[in-house]
Amino acid sequence: MSNGEPLGLVGVFASPQPMVEAARQLHALGIEAVEAYTPYPVEALGEQAHAGRPTALPWIMAAGALVGACCGYFIQYWDEWLSYPLNVGGRPYNSWPAFTVGAFEVTLLFAVAAGFFGLWFACRLPRLYDPKVEAEVFDRASTDRFVLRVETGASNVPRDRIRRVFEQHGAEQIVEVAA
Amino acid sequence: MTLAADVPRPAPVVEPGVTLRSLSEQVSGRLLSRRPPLWWWVGFGWALALLLVLIVSVTNLFVTGIGIWGVNIPVAWGLAIAEYVWWIALASGGTIVSALFHVTRSPWRSATNRIAETMLLSAAACAGIMPILHLGRPGLFYWLFPYSTVMGVWPQVRSPLWWDFVCLLCYILMSIMYYYVGLVPDVATVRDLAQSRSKKVFYGVLAMGWRGSARHWRKHKTVYAIMSAIMAPMVISVHSVVGLDFAAGLTPGWHSTQFPPYFFFGAVISGTALVVMLTILVRWGYGLENVITDYHLNALGKLVLVGSVMLGYAYLFEAWGPIYGADAADKTEFASRVFGFTAGAYWGKIALNILIPQLLWLPAIRRSKAALFLICAGIIVGMWLERYIIVVSSLHRNHMPSYWGVYYPTAWDWSILAGSIGLFLTMFFTLLRIVPIVAMSEVREIIDKGGPR
Repeated sequence: MSNGEPLGLVGVFASPQPMVEAARQLHALGIEAVEAYTPYPVEALGEQAHAGRPTALPWIMAAGALVGACCGYFIQYWDEWLSYPLNVGGRPYNSWPAFTVGAFEVTLLFAVAAGFFGLWFACRLPRLYDPKVEAEVFDRASTDRFVLRVETGASNVPRDRIRRVFEQHGAEQIVEVAA
Repeated sequence: MTLAADVPRPAPVVEPGVTLRSLSEQVSGRLLSRRPPLWWWVGFGWALALLLVLIVSVTNLFVTGIGIWGVNIPVAWGLAIAEYVWWIALASGGTIVSALFHVTRSPWRSATNRIAETMLLSAAACAGIMPILHLGRPGLFYWLFPYSTVMGVWPQVRSPLWWDFVCLLCYILMSIMYYYVGLVPDVATVRDLAQSRSKKVFYGVLAMGWRGSARHWRKHKTVYAIMSAIMAPMVISVHSVVGLDFAAGLTPGWHSTQFPPYFFFGAVISGTALVVMLTILVRWGYGLENVITDYHLNALGKLVLVGSVMLGYAYLFEAWGPIYGADAADKTEFASRVFGFTAGAYWGKIALNILIPQLLWLPAIRRSKAALFLICAGIIVGMWLERYIIVVSSLHRNHMPSYWGVYYPTAWDWSILAGSIGLFLTMFFTLLRIVPIVAMSEVREIIDKGGPR
């Protein structure tokens, strides 16, 4: 919106395959700033449509599991050994077999919670207003259309060339967006 | 033999006419239409009436005390505990259908998992209130939380009852997170199709600005797959620990090493049976026959059958222990269980959980919605009987004959059962109006792979 100059070029496709082809070609032209919006995960997109580095989320979940295991065990250890030692039939205060169950559940809880919050953090969500995807064409990307968005300012490839790539692959609609 | 091969007319996972657009409009339309259909009002009305029963019963319970129930020494655990186990088993079925079969990439899971998970959350709430109602001093339930109190008193964490508390708490929290991660792309669809301002805002906030960008999808897919792989062992552990509540006691009939898997088998059959019943009803009510086809019901019917066979194995072992063992108390308790006080319930559970479900071997039965529905309803009743027997029969024939007694539920016991069903249905019907009941983004993948381009 800054200077009224269109900053993005958006191509709308009716099926995933042409969109993947178009993304592939744009990638070959050296355009990095391509983003796809699809109603379901399209695996073939792979690296072509700026899928980015492999996600660190599995490691974050593993770290969550580790923290959960430690916390889950420690709170029981704190309870039964440090704070409120209670002799039940001479059993050891640090009854690790009995503590395993609680520690296991908390481990899984922390792993899932790390994945849950990590996912939204990694996706920069919630973001209720995003000027990049405000145009009406993006509304159909959640239903039945496959949308490619190219930042025209981010590379030296002329806008007409990008437009031609969209046309070659049968884009239904090509829109210039301001934001 | 594959699933599709033994259905005479190979049932498609999604009917050929379904397109990306028609699917989105069909599922979202149920939420965006201003007036709910008549059957919804009828069901919701009954649900609210039963919920009122729960409110009255719980109020009386809290004011008067658990003396309004039939529980007493020696049978100090009554219907509330039996129903806790019953509800948590029903809830577990939702996770089994949803998480376990996401890990195996079963195509039939995609259209039924939202129904299963909605059922899970509704049933877990019912399971959660039962132990609290049973406490006697329900206001002090928070003493179960392990934290350093000013009194310096902690819960006894070596007890399976405490493990159970942790399991249930973690399970409900994890289920909500798992549900929401799967839900976000679908509520984004509803947001984009909504016309009215209020619904746009409501679903817009719920979708958090999800736009289905490729980068987001990739992260979403990774996290969702790992979550599924975690939820599957989680649900096994939850119901196994419920089994340990009993197995760790020295009471005859409870003190058995087979209890954790025995309880899990019960969760498979009863939970899946409830998923089948709700799937048939939702499919009919919302007219989703083109997305939830015979393929799904065939697969679910087989899962119920697997649960029945596994449970039959556990029942054999339940009998084998006392018969082969040398413990007189075990033998006495088992004789009373089969031929004595709970004989009717015992043979009822054998018939409803084991014998009648064997009909599901026949493809014609799996194709018939009415037969499937009735068999599954029978299983739900049969599983309730099983929980009742486990709780009551063991306590009424404990080691010492001087410590024997019987238990008869009072009207208030039954009203809590009716009321908890009301709570379940109220939650389910409410969620039915709020969440897209079919996981659209997942069914779209199936349309893309199988349907005509």
